[in-house]
Amino acid sequence: MARIGVFVCHCGENIGRTVDCARVANELRDLPGVAHSVDYKYMCSDPGQSIVKQAIREKNLDGVIVAACSPHMHEKTFRRAVASEGLNPFLAEMANIREHCSWIHEDREKATDKAIEVCRSIVEKVKHNVPLETIRIPVTKRALVIGAGIAGIQAALDIADGGVEVVVVEKDPSIGGHMSQLSETFPTLDCSQCILTPRMVELYQHPNVKLITYAEVEEVSGYIGNFKVKIRQKARSVDADKCNGCGACAKACPNKKVPSEFDTGLGTRTAIYVPFPQAVPNIPVIDRAACALFRGRAKGLKKEACAKCREACSREAIDYDQQDTFIMQDIGAIVVATGYQLYSIGKDQPAGLTGYGEYGYGTIPDVIDGMQFERLASASGPTGGRIVRPSDGKEPKRIVFLQCIGSRDPAKGIEYCSKICCMYVAKHTMLYKHKVHDGQATVFYMDIRAAGKGYEEFTRRAIEEDGARYIRGRVSRLYRDGEVIKVQAFDTLSGEPILMDADMVVLATAMRPQPGIQLLAQTLSASYDQHGFFNEAHPKLRPVETNTAGIFLAGACQSPRDIPDSVAMASATAAKVLGMFSKDQLEREPTVARVDVSLCAGCFHCERVCPYGAITHLEIRDRKGNLVKVVADVNPGVCQGCGTCQATCPSKSVELSGFTDEQIYAAINALVL
Amino acid sequence: MAETSNGAFEPKVTAFVCNWCTYTGADLAGTSRLQMSPNVRIIRLPCTGRIDPLFIVKAFERGADGVIVSGCHPADCHYTSGNYHARRRFALFLELAGFMGIDPKRITFSWVSASEGGKWRDVVNDTVTRVRELGPFTAYRELAGKP
Amino acid sequence: MQELRDLARKLLSDGAVGVVIGYEEGPHGVRPAFITDGADADKLIFDRRCVQNLATYLAPRRNHLGKLGKKALVVKGCDARAVAGLIRETQIKREDVVIIGVRCGGVLRSDLAIGNGGSGNGEGGIGGGGAGRPAAGAVATGAAAVALTPETVADRCAECDIREPHLADHLVGELPPAPPVSKRREELIAKIEAMTPGERWDFWQQELERCVLCHACREVCPMCFCERCVADKTVPQWLESSPTGRANFAWHLTRALHQAGRCCDCGECERACPADIPLGLLNRKLAQVVEERYEFRATDDPEIPAPVGSYKLNDTQEFIL
Repeated sequence: MARIGVFVCHCGENIGRTVDCARVANELRDLPGVAHSVDYKYMCSDPGQSIVKQAIREKNLDGVIVAACSPHMHEKTFRRAVASEGLNPFLAEMANIREHCSWIHEDREKATDKAIEVCRSIVEKVKHNVPLETIRIPVTKRALVIGAGIAGIQAALDIADGGVEVVVVEKDPSIGGHMSQLSETFPTLDCSQCILTPRMVELYQHPNVKLITYAEVEEVSGYIGNFKVKIRQKARSVDADKCNGCGACAKACPNKKVPSEFDTGLGTRTAIYVPFPQAVPNIPVIDRAACALFRGRAKGLKKEACAKCREACSREAIDYDQQDTFIMQDIGAIVVATGYQLYSIGKDQPAGLTGYGEYGYGTIPDVIDGMQFERLASASGPTGGRIVRPSDGKEPKRIVFLQCIGSRDPAKGIEYCSKICCMYVAKHTMLYKHKVHDGQATVFYMDIRAAGKGYEEFTRRAIEEDGARYIRGRVSRLYRDGEVIKVQAFDTLSGEPILMDADMVVLATAMRPQPGIQLLAQTLSASYDQHGFFNEAHPKLRPVETNTAGIFLAGACQSPRDIPDSVAMASATAAKVLGMFSKDQLEREPTVARVDVSLCAGCFHCERVCPYGAITHLEIRDRKGNLVKVVADVNPGVCQGCGTCQATCPSKSVELSGFTDEQIYAAINALVL
Repeated sequence: MAETSNGAFEPKVTAFVCNWCTYTGADLAGTSRLQMSPNVRIIRLPCTGRIDPLFIVKAFERGADGVIVSGCHPADCHYTSGNYHARRRFALFLELAGFMGIDPKRITFSWVSASEGGKWRDVVNDTVTRVRELGPFTAYRELAGKP
Repeated sequence: MQELRDLARKLLSDGAVGVVIGYEEGPHGVRPAFITDGADADKLIFDRRCVQNLATYLAPRRNHLGKLGKKALVVKGCDARAVAGLIRETQIKREDVVIIGVRCGGVLRSDLAIGNGGSGNGEGGIGGGGAGRPAAGAVATGAAAVALTPETVADRCAECDIREPHLADHLVGELPPAPPVSKRREELIAKIEAMTPGERWDFWQQELERCVLCHACREVCPMCFCERCVADKTVPQWLESSPTGRANFAWHLTRALHQAGRCCDCGECERACPADIPLGLLNRKLAQVVEERYEFRATDDPEIPAPVGSYKLNDTQEFIL
């Protein structure tokens, strides 16, 4: 027979006014299995808790019910009190007779009847409670950062500075991301490379950082604290250990006409190349699609069509037969910092996006996007920082910027605001004016969103000091008229149609998540929104975590954001990771599901409904090692305790601790006539 | 079913609610002192995903005249998708139970968020009123005696 | 038929399989056959009396057949849906079974094809033909069975869209003309739907009161493969084991719910029922709901995910306040 103690709280007058607490305690005393039942003015007070503790000691209780307020208010309080007497805290439960009873009813008799019934239901449940132990999970104190743009670099450095090993995986040959392509940054107009490259070098040289460039995360298994990550190191065709970055190979390469990704197609590079002079690591890679040797091989040529780079290399670092290799890493926490791509409005559009054919991007050479303008304005760019038209190299005297291209345009598939464009367009007008003193910049905008420290002042400067002309309105069409681009628009403030001439047009295109991000999210079992941005665990209170324990976010992979925001988020994520690593074991509530392997038939409905991917396949073998069956198994480190598996399981072969079928059955049955 | 001293029918309603939204919403109703019918008994579960049609069947077997199932609105689930699975499960349950003769008016499904104390009161009162009009679910209880 | 026999003989003599599970003539109509010797392959038959779903022999719970070696299974389209279900729910691997698909022109109502299992009184079981269905006529024992007419064809053949099982490794026979269409079942469902809740309750009570909780519906079902059915769970005992009105209602509601989106509509539960309870109505009703709400139709493609265990953000929720 159970020995349960019932403690009915008056909560001063809060419960006592409507519920006859003495009657509740008296009626419950007569229930089978109730060894002790009392009421008291304030159960949560020190004397109240002492009453509970004393009863546990003296009456040798094996279960406790506190009938008082909501468990959300004081369940922890009473479980702590119970634990201090050596009783397992999960043998204590609360019956809510305040929020769910005394506060919402006036009829004292009915409220008291209800309170008795609610308590009886919890008593029956507690009879089936079993001691549960806090789950402890070992932690591998090594973090993985995916993506080495500014967010990834910052997160990795902060974690590494915290004394934890970090593996950084970057898909491109160099780290640096989009920030390395920028000319100057708002709102201070400091040179992007000047502030970024020292951070890149710091990352490269940090003793706690293992940097893997030109590589991608291929598979992730395991769970928080215990991930196993398989990384594909793509073949560079250059032996990184031998190469000293002298650059002789690139000089020797005969194919010098490959459009440079770094220069957004405005400049060229060789087939063996380093993306930009300050690249980290300074090790070239052969673009096999552009290399004569590999193209020859693809056509089946036995002879080497070209080997000029190998001939030029004094260190024998060129390796045409290098293959992709795989690196396995044990990881405790993963930071996703994959960043963004710009809405490439002229090319093929993904489903749901309709593009902007009316702006002639890709057909009118002097219609460019914001990143191309950055390269033109950059001192290290293809023009050495001179702003000229890609078509004829002439300096544009009339330049027009269009904001919100793709953003805030549900008709074209994206309803969100890309957040950074207002600011970088203002910056572009200033960079332009500083280089083309007699030029005129015109901006077509919907609204100017300059919320941020120094941001509003910055846009005002662009208008007032650098003479940018802002027109509120939408451009309907761009078309060529000889050397001139005709801009057909509508001024929504004056209500006048506009037709103006421009020498060059810059489109502030929307920020979108990186291609392939959905695949990565699936690999990580993390969720993403309808646009493909990663979902945070809670939009307000858990902005840098995902719903998958141990997976964190930094930067524009979660939503469009600028450099300061990305860096702040990266540091916040690093703090989360370091916090997680500050303990040798992770602790969590034991409300997790368990499978009865003897009953499980292995239909895996549970696996299909589990929001966390906590269900794994367990092979049951006989003593000779023959496979008997494959059943479901719950990883307690991943399970969050929702219990969807149990309700789904047709044979009820999985049980959620703390909410087992027995407990709920008993609770339902106690609510009888 | 219980009868008060004056013999009027007082419906018994069992409510299965999720811990994070509806239970907290019901807490808010209490904190806001929203008065409501005392006929509903709440059983707290982590998530609507945990709520099994067997619970509802058992509640009716034990004498409930009505049942409420309530949890987080779509997209608000504490466990991201438990409520979506529950939604399918209960759509099927309700269609089948209705086809087999359980009056769907005896069962309320609702999404009540942690901030919707007022909605919870309405769900409670509407359900009790509806079930009161239908009368006691004696048909189900009488099944027990039928061999 | 010769094609089927030759194929079975070849599979057995090549050692490709250890047993061919098909149909043979029995003393009381067609019965399942387990052919392990090529010489017996000529016993195999297939015609419109072959109503049984042999996929039920694939589930691991019936693994005593495993001793016979790899199985080849004769399936109709409806049976193929069960095989696909077993693959989908990881009960078998596709490569572990050789599927011999028969092109099917419809089958007879089971009471006309082989009578009703337990009773044998020609009156359609314990209840004497419930749900207003015609009582069973004389059971056909010869190849000259009853002709397929809207009155004699099995209910499920009306909805059949897999007369050639795509899942099959080997397809045999010529595709016969489409079967006549019976509207019995859909009309009965419509009739029940037109009733008030009270009338529906009475209708089902009349049907279910004959239930003896023998669980034959479960035992015959290829998709009921749990190692321990929830009905046999005792701690806690959600489903009572004595056949009272309450236990019967809970069992049939639970059984049908567990089949939602999984039922292959082979009609075996109804055939096996000694009390002639129209269980197929419950399954069919849920199949309609699943198709309307979740655009899923039972299929013999195991790659198509089942609707239960998945969800869409915009699933219908008109019933939720």
